[in-house]
Amino acid sequence: MSTVIVGLFEGVETAARAGRALKGLSLPAGSVTTISAVPLPDGAVVTDPAPIRFPRIAIAGWFVGAAAGLGLSLATYMLYPLVTGGKTIVSVPPTLIITYEVAMLGALLGTLFGGGREMGLLRFPPKAIHDPRIHDGKIALCARVEGDEQARRAIEAMREAGGIEVRAEEGEL
Amino acid sequence: MSGVAPRPGDHHLAHTDEAKLFERLSRSNLVTTWKWYLGVGIAGAVLLWGVIVFMYMALTGMGVTGYNKPVFWGLYEASLVFWIGLSHSGTLISAILRLTHATWRAPVLRGAEAMTAFTLMVGGLIPIIHLGRNWRVYYALPYPSSRELWPNMRSPLMWDAMAITTYLIGSLTFLYVGMIPDLALLRDKSAGWRRKFYSALSLGFRGTHAQWRRYHVASTLFAILIIPIAVSVHSIVSWDFAMAKVPGWHSTIFAPYFVVGAIFSGIAGVVIVMAILRKAFRLESVLTPLHFDNLGKLLCTMTLLWGYFYFTEFLTVWYNRNPEEWEVFSSYAGPYLPLFLTMIVCNFVIPFPMLCLKRVRRSVSLILVPAISIVIGMYAERLLIVIPSLARRNDPFIWANYFPTWVEFSVMAGAAAMFVLLYMLFAKFFPIMAISDIKERLFHTTDRTIGGTTVESIARVEGEEEAHA
Amino acid sequence: MKHTWAMAIDLDRCTGCGACVVACNAENNIPVIGEAEAGKNRLMHWIRVNRYWEGEFPEAQAVYLPIPCMQCERAPCELVCPVYATYHNEDGLNAMVYNRCIGTRYCANNCPYSVRVFNWYDYKWEKPLDEQLSPDLTVRSRGVMEKCTFCIQRIRRAKETAAEEGREIRDGDVVPACVQTCPPGALLFGDLSDPHSEITRKLKDPRRFRLMEHLGTDPRVVYLKRQKGAGR
Repeated sequence: MSTVIVGLFEGVETAARAGRALKGLSLPAGSVTTISAVPLPDGAVVTDPAPIRFPRIAIAGWFVGAAAGLGLSLATYMLYPLVTGGKTIVSVPPTLIITYEVAMLGALLGTLFGGGREMGLLRFPPKAIHDPRIHDGKIALCARVEGDEQARRAIEAMREAGGIEVRAEEGEL
Repeated sequence: MSGVAPRPGDHHLAHTDEAKLFERLSRSNLVTTWKWYLGVGIAGAVLLWGVIVFMYMALTGMGVTGYNKPVFWGLYEASLVFWIGLSHSGTLISAILRLTHATWRAPVLRGAEAMTAFTLMVGGLIPIIHLGRNWRVYYALPYPSSRELWPNMRSPLMWDAMAITTYLIGSLTFLYVGMIPDLALLRDKSAGWRRKFYSALSLGFRGTHAQWRRYHVASTLFAILIIPIAVSVHSIVSWDFAMAKVPGWHSTIFAPYFVVGAIFSGIAGVVIVMAILRKAFRLESVLTPLHFDNLGKLLCTMTLLWGYFYFTEFLTVWYNRNPEEWEVFSSYAGPYLPLFLTMIVCNFVIPFPMLCLKRVRRSVSLILVPAISIVIGMYAERLLIVIPSLARRNDPFIWANYFPTWVEFSVMAGAAAMFVLLYMLFAKFFPIMAISDIKERLFHTTDRTIGGTTVESIARVEGEEEAHA
Repeated sequence: MKHTWAMAIDLDRCTGCGACVVACNAENNIPVIGEAEAGKNRLMHWIRVNRYWEGEFPEAQAVYLPIPCMQCERAPCELVCPVYATYHNEDGLNAMVYNRCIGTRYCANNCPYSVRVFNWYDYKWEKPLDEQLSPDLTVRSRGVMEKCTFCIQRIRRAKETAAEEGREIRDGDVVPACVQTCPPGALLFGDLSDPHSEITRKLKDPRRFRLMEHLGTDPRVVYLKRQKGAGR
């Protein structure tokens, strides 16, 4: 829970101007972000310093799924072995197919849950900063500040850049 | 964006009234007419009829169908292949067009993905419908039972089960994750129970920069994953046939042939659904002739591909005159001639010349003709794969013809009604237009003057994908 | 002791009388489905007698081919059942487990000999016909596949009797219903792993062939080719 200065801007150019002004305040990395209805290119208004990690979970999910698929095939062959069609009990081609399918499922679920977690979905923090007017073409620029001096300078920078309704809110970025 | 005069070089979103755009794109959510209630009512009634007839069949026995020896598979199994085939629509539009950066896909996205999810649901029910003892379907589940028996993973039907499950989960995930920004939009624009509904579904998505970056990577990853899943699903469905010792089925061409046929019927399905959505929800300005032109070009390519695969199969059988296969193909000139002619005419003779004409592709009413023709032709093709090979198989003494009864027609009509019903409910409660994607496209589009002409220029952000891990 | 049950069918002797079909129906609780259903190609015969015509009138000749389940060593039907309702047992027979079958009918599609039949309805035996049912095997419900089992109930009975008497099964102990009934003696059943059994001797005949051998199913039913000669 911290103080966040939220400014609403008409378009990406005015928001970018404010973003450049905020850079002069030397706020720590990751304290400034935009909230927008369309994704903005990285660096247009703000940059996102945190690396995107969740694809590793997707890859891990693939391997977990492959192991599960392999285990499923082997288990169904060997727990109650029955000869069918003169084929060996552990038949390789069907095993490859089942392993592949469950591996893809694992990768899919890994992307879903890993991505969801990294996006912060399903957390519903009670005081998440948000402004529904972004759906009318506005861009919200949010800066987390420490202390009154930073807050005042941030508000000033945003107002000068052309922000409509710059305000301080208590909440999570 | 009221009050701001557009400057030259401005992106198109800057001079779009976003509130009006939202109202136009969300007409299906905001406005309900008596026509919707009527449609849902009819679809629900046909579905109910299908369910009742299915229960009659389950309680009386499969004898009420037209199945016999040797034609043990017929309308149900051909319909299974048909519905799973239709599900390749969304995968192509969303995933492949996404990875190839085809920005025109934006208005077609959601409708196609929804079509994938619901056709899969219908197709996934048919393996349960066609069983002789449907109530024992759980024997095919791998779970530790007191019988200590497990399912047989060597059976292509079990590969089907795994593949369709994976694809269903994948396509539902793809559809849902694609909707999250739009659900957030609906949440912010609604009140009451709707707000609670969309709040829960949008999972707290706000649109911060970090969220958008990760959302983009996740969407790309899903697209990369769903394509091989889709290819494998229809290959595996084709292997239900290709693995069998049935003349005309046991062919290595089945896997790519079925995948091509699936994409073919899928795109035709998308054209039809988009045309209906356009009319029903007054989306003429969003679903423009350009979109139908592009879909038409894809459809024309697929017509050629399908024709190529079919000719290849026919050529090898004709050349070799292997007696078992030749008897099957000869029956196309006999009792199965109507089906065969329907297939050739509806899949190639009508669509190909029509789709070559720009005038046809750019007219929504005209392009519906080849699209509907293809859907009919592909259904005939599925029937033609399943039935003659069984009806004219190895031992001539037991050859028999097959024709479905009212039971099979009713149950399959119920299945089609289920798709229509699911789709109509979806369009009512969920955003049928990918509003965020449409806005994103407008944001990237500017008018660029080159010499004496002005063209639309769409920015593509390169290098964003390298920013992860 | 491991058995290799096999059947030899001498086409020189088969007259196409169909007594084997009737005997099989009686022994294995197979329903009589009626004329209407038979017209819809739903006959439930576990063994059928194919009839082919050779030549033109007036020299046309009928060729009869009794076809029971081939009990293939590499049975294509066993592979495709998703629930292991059919599998290869220790005696080398293709076993059918009725209460496991969920009725996908894939096995029937995969049998190139089309010997598998399906229960399209719950067939009824009206009184007093229910008294003809054999207690040694079940009456199958609707939705279940069935096929010739080489009269596995008789094989089991012979094994039990032999075990009680403390001996091995002798050649001739196991006689399936069709073999027992065939008037001209065209059908013969026995254990191929017994070097002295009648069937081992009979199958040394150079007329031997198997149906659709090119499919690689390795059937256990061996036919002896009909020889064309005077008076045949």
